[in-house]
Amino acid sequence: MNRRNFLALTGTFTGGSLLLPNFLYSFGSQNNLVLGEQCVVFVQLNGGNDGLNTFIPFEDVLYYNLRPKISISKTEVLNSSKGMAFHPALKGFAAIQQSGDLSVIQNVGYPNPVRSHFRSQEIWQTAPTHQEYLSDGWLGRYLDLQCKEHQPTAGINLDSIDNLALKGEEPNSITVKDPDRFKTKIKAENDGQLSKNPQLDFVRKIANSVVEGSDDIQKALAKTAASDVVYPKTGLAKNLEWISKLIKGNLNSKVYYTSLGGFDTHDNQLAIHKNKLTELNDAVYSFYEDLKKSQQLQNVTIVVFSEFGRRVKDNGHGTDHGTAAPMFVIGGNNRGKIIGNNPNLSDLDNGDLKHQIDFRSVYASLLQNKLNFDSSKIGIQNKALEGLF
Amino acid sequence: MDKSTLWSLRLGYSAKQAKTIEKTGLKKFLEQSFDTKLDSKIPVFLEDSPKSSQELKEIRKTLNAADPEAKKEMLKKEIQISVEMKSWWIDKMINEEFPLREKMTCFWHNHYVSTFQKVKVNYWIFQHNQILRENAFGNYKTLTKKIIQSNAMIRYLDNLENRKDKLNENLSRELLELFTLGIGNYSEEDIKNGAKGLAGLGIGEENAIYRKFFEENEPFVYLGKKGNFKVDEMIDIIFEQPNIPYLITRKILKWFIYDNPKEELVRYYGDYFKKMNFEIKPLLTKIFTEEFSKNNAGSKIKNPLEYSLQLLDELNVTNPNAKLISFFLKEQGMDLFNQPNVKGWDGGNSWLTSQVFLQRNNAADLLCNGKNIARGQKDMNENSMMKQNPNQQLNVKLNWNKEGNSKEIIAQLSERLLFQKEAGNQQDFEQLLKYDFDSKTEGSENAVIRLFNFMVKTPEFQLI
Repeated sequence: MNRRNFLALTGTFTGGSLLLPNFLYSFGSQNNLVLGEQCVVFVQLNGGNDGLNTFIPFEDVLYYNLRPKISISKTEVLNSSKGMAFHPALKGFAAIQQSGDLSVIQNVGYPNPVRSHFRSQEIWQTAPTHQEYLSDGWLGRYLDLQCKEHQPTAGINLDSIDNLALKGEEPNSITVKDPDRFKTKIKAENDGQLSKNPQLDFVRKIANSVVEGSDDIQKALAKTAASDVVYPKTGLAKNLEWISKLIKGNLNSKVYYTSLGGFDTHDNQLAIHKNKLTELNDAVYSFYEDLKKSQQLQNVTIVVFSEFGRRVKDNGHGTDHGTAAPMFVIGGNNRGKIIGNNPNLSDLDNGDLKHQIDFRSVYASLLQNKLNFDSSKIGIQNKALEGLF
Repeated sequence: MDKSTLWSLRLGYSAKQAKTIEKTGLKKFLEQSFDTKLDSKIPVFLEDSPKSSQELKEIRKTLNAADPEAKKEMLKKEIQISVEMKSWWIDKMINEEFPLREKMTCFWHNHYVSTFQKVKVNYWIFQHNQILRENAFGNYKTLTKKIIQSNAMIRYLDNLENRKDKLNENLSRELLELFTLGIGNYSEEDIKNGAKGLAGLGIGEENAIYRKFFEENEPFVYLGKKGNFKVDEMIDIIFEQPNIPYLITRKILKWFIYDNPKEELVRYYGDYFKKMNFEIKPLLTKIFTEEFSKNNAGSKIKNPLEYSLQLLDELNVTNPNAKLISFFLKEQGMDLFNQPNVKGWDGGNSWLTSQVFLQRNNAADLLCNGKNIARGQKDMNENSMMKQNPNQQLNVKLNWNKEGNSKEIIAQLSERLLFQKEAGNQQDFEQLLKYDFDSKTEGSENAVIRLFNFMVKTPEFQLI
């Protein structure tokens, strides 16, 4: 496969004009021009999202038997189809599914599942073959091969900490803690919260001003079109809104990553989970509408996942760490199907679901179909999942 | 931050001496540092370098006769020796059991600036550096006399051009403005007259000597006194001035502890320094022991040496490549033996620009990934002077408590790395090393290195 500097198109057409047919060239100034530049947006749900209460086997009697206190009633679930339906908080997800833009991949996990948040996230983020310890993330390895020299904005992580998934040999991604500070550089530099230590304030000011690639981000933000979608005022929504601005401003990053915490529902699950799913739903649905209205949805694939699902049987008012769970894929011209069998609650491994689809085969499919990249080059040996795109 | 770590960093370049400070106490540690023996050997790389004025004359002759290519070749060789000398010094800073002498030498190096760029004789630069090392804990007045009469300083501040009837004021000016009293404590007349006293002081065999023919032997007024003064007497007069202790005391406080020392502290320690007849040991002892008991962590931005040598030490890099370190220092604006001007590195806030900060973070990423602090330039692989391939993989290893849980490990690392830790930091750290982190599992050190990498990129790591 030809290695291609996908960022040649960034900002200017001079580099990219060779790749574009002449007739497209004149569309340069037109809005909504589809350049065919694909990107993937990952939304990682931290803490282990309870898959069974997210995409619910509401016709399975075992579901209600095993979860007397925390099951979701048949009458509340949304969009029932072949025995599965959405949690009532996921109205947006249901609507997206009805428009044919959402695929559900069921029972995703990996062999010999680890129930430690820490290690399981590492496994999802590094995608090792035999759970060996890798120091670089799977997206980091992909960007290492895909980028010429290094390209600090090839991957954007909107989070307070760096993300292992994006870590590679070369600094091809940046972590943006607070995108607000990109509003205007000068403003951000003067806005730093003051401590009582002038030396510390000085260093913080410098630190805030020097995210490599911030100039590219500035340019993208300057170019971006205003959105007529009003996002909710939550952390995740804010991050997704920023991602949408960067996409619309042609930053041409390949990968965006952000996360939402709070899914570790050992107790008081019904209330907590409902809140979290509402936050997820409202943010993702605004993002979806925004992308759709700006005709970017076919270029943007949103992937929602968690490091593991939760135990099938409840522990009272909550659930403990489990294994397989559904992944959701939105946009990017996915086929809008439900892939894989419904969770089998009668065939459990120590009380946990057995995985049927390996997350690495989902990665392989994303790399192959959306990023035009051979996943074996980064050591993913699983065959790409069929039927997603 | 743990106090002995903080002071190990302040009195050296890494946390290496923290244990000793904790065990023996600061006072004993200072005594041991003062007692360190001097290495007076002339390093191997200087063996072939010209030393006596006879040798230098011959070299100049051959140079003048040589064709341009050969000339270039000879110049290149001297530049390479200068690079070797940087590595030689960096190795000392890293390997000394008590690095305070090297830290103080570096302080004086930045006070009595004299660069290879201008002096162009490596041996003189070496001599100059040795004077600073020998007198690092000696007497300020004595050191001033010695350094002014070093061949390097004479050349650096153009005193060869300072002759009777054709005075050059450069050395005379810096003696008052930068080396001793500071602006506002002398008049332009003093500078002009001082140049008379220094006229004819030229290059000698080991140190500067007066050339009878170029001397000016008329009496002049210098800082209120009249006489036919020569360099030593002039310095004696300077050291009688009431404001003599403050400039140097301020600079010492800046070098070791505060980017912006309070003026009353400068006065307080300065007056003591004068009382001690400008003996450096008692001054340092007083400053360090009294400041030790205060809560003053985070008052100084690390210079590039403190930044890089600490990282290398933390990651247990064995035999770090001193040459690459010297390149890194240069990029960071701290090129040894080559300050941008006679004022030296400004220090404080001017250590950090966005570029420099970014470079520091890149260096941290590289080191944490087992790569050298600076990337090898393309031709460096073939450069015979490189003892190690700059692109080789390093074996990095962090010291951490393998018995600890995530919070204990976070606490241990931040005590060692960050002068303070806020609630927000702690949250981020706990995201990286989650509560169910198990140090016993294979590969757990990767996670700890990632935490370390994150910590050393926080603004807090830039300060001591």
